[in-house]
Amino acid sequence: MSRMIDRHPTADRLRNFGRAKLSRHQNFHVVRHLLTGCERCSAVLAAEAPPGFGPERPAISPRDYDGAFAKARQKFLSSRQEHLVEQRQAPALLEVLGEQPFERQILLLNNSKKFWTWPLCSLLIQRSHELGFRDPRRALDMARLGVRLSEQLSVDAYGDARVADLRARAWAALANAQRIASDFRAADQSFRRAERLLRKGTGDFLEKARILLQEASLHGDQRRFAEATKLLDRVLRLAHRVGDESLVATALVKQGIVFGTSGRTEEAIECLREGLQGIDAKSDPRLAVAARHNLIVYLIEVGQLPEAVALLAATRPLYEELGDRMNLIRLKWLEGKIAQNCGRLSEAEALFRSVGDSLADLGLGYDTALLALDLAGVYARQGRTEEMRTLAAQMLPCFQSHEVHREALAALIVFQKAAKMDRVTLGLVHELSDYLRQCRTNPGVRLRDSV
Amino acid sequence: MNFLHQPELQDSLNQLLIASRPRLERVLRHFEIPPEDAEDILQDAQLTLLYKWEQIRSPESWLIGTLKKKCIMYWRKRRSSLCDAVDTAILDLVATPVAPDQEKAELSFDLNRVLGNLSARCRSLLKLRYGLGYGPSEVAEQMGYRLSSIRKVTNRCLAALTRQLVAVGFYREPENEQND
Repeated sequence: MSRMIDRHPTADRLRNFGRAKLSRHQNFHVVRHLLTGCERCSAVLAAEAPPGFGPERPAISPRDYDGAFAKARQKFLSSRQEHLVEQRQAPALLEVLGEQPFERQILLLNNSKKFWTWPLCSLLIQRSHELGFRDPRRALDMARLGVRLSEQLSVDAYGDARVADLRARAWAALANAQRIASDFRAADQSFRRAERLLRKGTGDFLEKARILLQEASLHGDQRRFAEATKLLDRVLRLAHRVGDESLVATALVKQGIVFGTSGRTEEAIECLREGLQGIDAKSDPRLAVAARHNLIVYLIEVGQLPEAVALLAATRPLYEELGDRMNLIRLKWLEGKIAQNCGRLSEAEALFRSVGDSLADLGLGYDTALLALDLAGVYARQGRTEEMRTLAAQMLPCFQSHEVHREALAALIVFQKAAKMDRVTLGLVHELSDYLRQCRTNPGVRLRDSV
Repeated sequence: MNFLHQPELQDSLNQLLIASRPRLERVLRHFEIPPEDAEDILQDAQLTLLYKWEQIRSPESWLIGTLKKKCIMYWRKRRSSLCDAVDTAILDLVATPVAPDQEKAELSFDLNRVLGNLSARCRSLLKLRYGLGYGPSEVAEQMGYRLSSIRKVTNRCLAALTRQLVAVGFYREPENEQND
């Protein structure tokens, strides 16, 4: 009678062993047999073994994949049909949601299955990004809804790894909205959550790169410039790897802004110029405007006024095309800065006053403070001490009624006192302006540290 | 959001899948993906493309890159599942309490013969694991590895052992493995 270990497993069993599809008990017997050094069974198994685990595998002809392509296509077409239907419904569903107060929206997303679709979740995330700085509170609500909805999506319908990707994207959108609302701690936690989800996802480089890109913005705002730069370098590597020129350009623009914020103006200009070459203003006008706007600001800083003026003239139609109020205010502010730097002080004053009114209307206290300091710069150059005192007197109550932290308020009090004593110089104005820009995202910074 | 609402863009997605087929085939052949498993990998990549279409600026590059990655992941998973199956089976074999002495002796002989073809490092590591029943931390301590790297070293040795079982008698692990 032959011993158990001498009995050859069937070819099917060996193939299934090679594919790790046997039970623990079946593996036990196959491995015991293979340990005897059975060449016949090793040969059968070798055909199934991963490359490098056995002899060279027989070549596969392209025709061998015909069946796979045909079946994959069939599945793709039927999924696409379902996806199209869901995509058409998404805007209407968003509208239905939009008519409800936030608590009711959450309730609907928790309980009503008709909302549980990929396109609606995608749309909520997209809306959150679009609202961003324009309406931070709504952007936060949209992102929260996106997160809630992403947790309801069916992994059977969309695939567990893909759903994990979308959940990661939703958490990253929430983190981004929290960053814009200056809640950095919450943003950090949301990014950690997004990273954990991403590890369960498809491993898509693009998804990862986009999340890192947003995280780099958070580090930039937290003035963790080295970390922001490191993340952006990773994004650049990933973007090159997937051949996404647009992502390369976006990362370069962000890198430019990080350099600019950290005072590395020349490098900022270089990155922004390089990034702009890869941006298609037609397909991504918002990014194009952001890149050009920052480039103009840094060109003004280094005194390259003619180039700044030319670039502003070329970008004006894009600002107008985008048309949103905040961008038009920024355009006017920039025109004021250029007029100021070109010595056209009356024009600068008129532009700054107009921008100041718009910012005050929107209740943007911090920006109003920064703008007022630009206006103070005009007065300082003209030696208009009386107007300076009036401006200083108007600033403080305005900021006290808005959410301006105490360090910034203290700086404004310094300004007010200096104005009262007719001691405001252009240097002090610049110093305060730099300080307010820095402590906007880092209230801990001291006035003198900022210089 | 409106990309796929437009018939011409739906067509462009279709055309992309048709136009990229030769490159996709080359990727599958390059990675020697068995035709019966290619369907799942292709389908997964194409469905992800469908759902993420609006995010992707260079769809063809993305699709090819994603397929390559999925092929790499496919073999990585197959290798690790196979190695796990071999490891578990050998641990079960050496732990069988009621095996007669002759069977034990035969198992020990067969195991030593297979291990004899591995590098000295893997031989020592697997002897500690199977012969003395050492856990990863004990193996690390005995062999002077950091606990953080022992898993990686063990996995390499298990892969070498599995290669032996698949091509026993034909394959000899290169000695420079010892210096890895």
